[in-house]
Amino acid sequence: MSGVFMIEQNLKELEERSIFILREAKSKFKNVAALWSMGKDSTTMLALARKAFLGKVPFPVIHIDNGIDFPETYKFRDDLTKKWNLDLIVAKSEIKPEISGFSCCGSNKTEALKKIMKEYKFDALIVSIRRDEHGIRAKERVFSARDKNFRWNYKNQAAELWDDYSSKIDTAGHVRVHPLLDWNEIDIWRYIKKERIPVNPLYFSRNGFRYRSLGCTHCTVPVKSNAKTIDDIIKELKNTDTEERAGREQDKEKEYVMQKLRAFGYM
Amino acid sequence: MLVRNVTMLGHKDHGKSTLIGSILMLTNSVSQARIEEAKKYSQKLGKPFEPAFILDSFEEEREGGLTIDTTRAEASYKGVAFELIDVPGHEELIKNMMSGASFADIAILLVSAKPDEGIRDQTKRHVFVARMLGINSIIVAINKMDSVEYKKEVYDKLVNEINSFFKNINFSGSVRFVPISAYNGENIKEKSEKMGWYKGKPLLEELFFLSKKKDKPKIKDLRAVVQGFIEEENKKLISARVLSGCLRKGTISVYPNGIKRKALNLIVNGKKVAKACENDTVAIELDAPLNEARGLVISSSSKPIITKKINALVFSTIKLGNNSKISIRLLGKEFAAKKLSINEVIDASNGLHKKGNFIKPLDAGRVAIDLGDYVAVEKYSELKGMGRFTFYSGSKFGGVGIIE
Repeated sequence: MSGVFMIEQNLKELEERSIFILREAKSKFKNVAALWSMGKDSTTMLALARKAFLGKVPFPVIHIDNGIDFPETYKFRDDLTKKWNLDLIVAKSEIKPEISGFSCCGSNKTEALKKIMKEYKFDALIVSIRRDEHGIRAKERVFSARDKNFRWNYKNQAAELWDDYSSKIDTAGHVRVHPLLDWNEIDIWRYIKKERIPVNPLYFSRNGFRYRSLGCTHCTVPVKSNAKTIDDIIKELKNTDTEERAGREQDKEKEYVMQKLRAFGYM
Repeated sequence: MLVRNVTMLGHKDHGKSTLIGSILMLTNSVSQARIEEAKKYSQKLGKPFEPAFILDSFEEEREGGLTIDTTRAEASYKGVAFELIDVPGHEELIKNMMSGASFADIAILLVSAKPDEGIRDQTKRHVFVARMLGINSIIVAINKMDSVEYKKEVYDKLVNEINSFFKNINFSGSVRFVPISAYNGENIKEKSEKMGWYKGKPLLEELFFLSKKKDKPKIKDLRAVVQGFIEEENKKLISARVLSGCLRKGTISVYPNGIKRKALNLIVNGKKVAKACENDTVAIELDAPLNEARGLVISSSSKPIITKKINALVFSTIKLGNNSKISIRLLGKEFAAKKLSINEVIDASNGLHKKGNFIKPLDAGRVAIDLGDYVAVEKYSELKGMGRFTFYSGSKFGGVGIIE
């Protein structure tokens, strides 16, 4: 079999599994929402949801907005919300003086999300994380319970055999649903190309730099790159040796920061 | 790229995480940053470089020197993407091992050649469970050959012992053996000169060979399991996953009741299609609504097994007796078992019959379960997806079963 055919086949399998997971979430929970950062992964997830539910996204999408996202990101959000008729909830997150890394994402974003989850009584939250992003994210289940304080009991996760996902939750807790866990960074870009999914322009190179992973203006830095098109990005990823989240300050601060962030409810 | 899921199996400290770390480095499948980070951390703990730290990311895993939960990493070799699944070896973490291994169709069983390590109960238990989870091909990697001066006798003895266990449990899949040193990277990608007596291929070559085999269901007719309604208001649109055969537009039978419906339109991955085949998740537009959907089975010609009672081989992580109250998760539905009868107790560490009328945690047995309701099922040997289940005692995971 040719390489091109195998890539197509692989994307089809990933797509099928994600559609299955999204439908599973919708049929097992009463009140589902999704996080949308306007990044490539959560936008791809929305494109998959449109396929799973025959053209519409049947759940609200939450943007945790600390007010310091890039202007391009806000424009992208508003354009796509209109185009795809999304039910957008903006969760305003407070800016505290110490606005980087653990404190930025940990306290600010998680607190804003807690408030929204409580207000709308969501029992499931779709989060577009992938295993290849980070060693700690690789330990996740597809359905992953959080208690009412958002805590992740990573030392005793539920059994998850085949596609038998556990939807049991403690009172006032919720379940994180991870439909993109099996995707790699390069799969996402190949799928974006194949499906012509709109992407934030910040991913493409300007003056020799591009954003490979998008956070807010304070915790993300661009990486050196001349990739101006999706094809350039795919080519670049085939040859790169650096980590996708190398431009994310919070991941590097101390050992186990990601573990601690996630244990306390971070995405 | 062809993707294959490969799980590690074996007793704790026999080298599962180390082998994955080693494969990732030898195939250039891990970033320099991640290797550096693992190196730095090994130094900090005053240890020599530990490739397992590329996988073991939790603080508790590194400090404690054990894998707590399953994880995966991708290594590409000769154009095949191997999703290497790491699992914990500790007995009390077997639920996590099962969660990881259930995704695989190939396993690498790690057996340490060190005199005080060798084949342990947990080594064999992992094989027993893996077979029930769907694994058909096993590479037995006799590890830590460097610690026994690469002696052929040590290897031969372990191979014989493992072979007799495979016989006990009637394992019918492919089995290959490779002597390795995961830590030193010997016989992994290239053949080691220190084991000139070994005439077989290095581990990655064996893996590549097995990756070309694909398990096909014995049932050729259509079987599709219904996931649910796509819209709750409109009960004419359902989602189903095709496990065997192909679904076409026209008349279908929906089991266990055998209701007839017409499939007017089929949509797979967002596109209208004429047919949906094995592994497709399909949206079906029906001519008339259904009252319920989840856990039903769609067929077009032959009929699945319709029954209230199932006979199964189970592997249990809890104590299971004739009066145990358990719930069964089968075809995406949960059934509170009306009656459970233990017909045979099996020691999962050797595959042999055992006296007694209850199953201890980490043992196996043959049981009859009255589900209290009709279901459409198939034997596991005929169609895996319709013949396997998990069971729970309250909210506690209890184990896995296959219908015989």
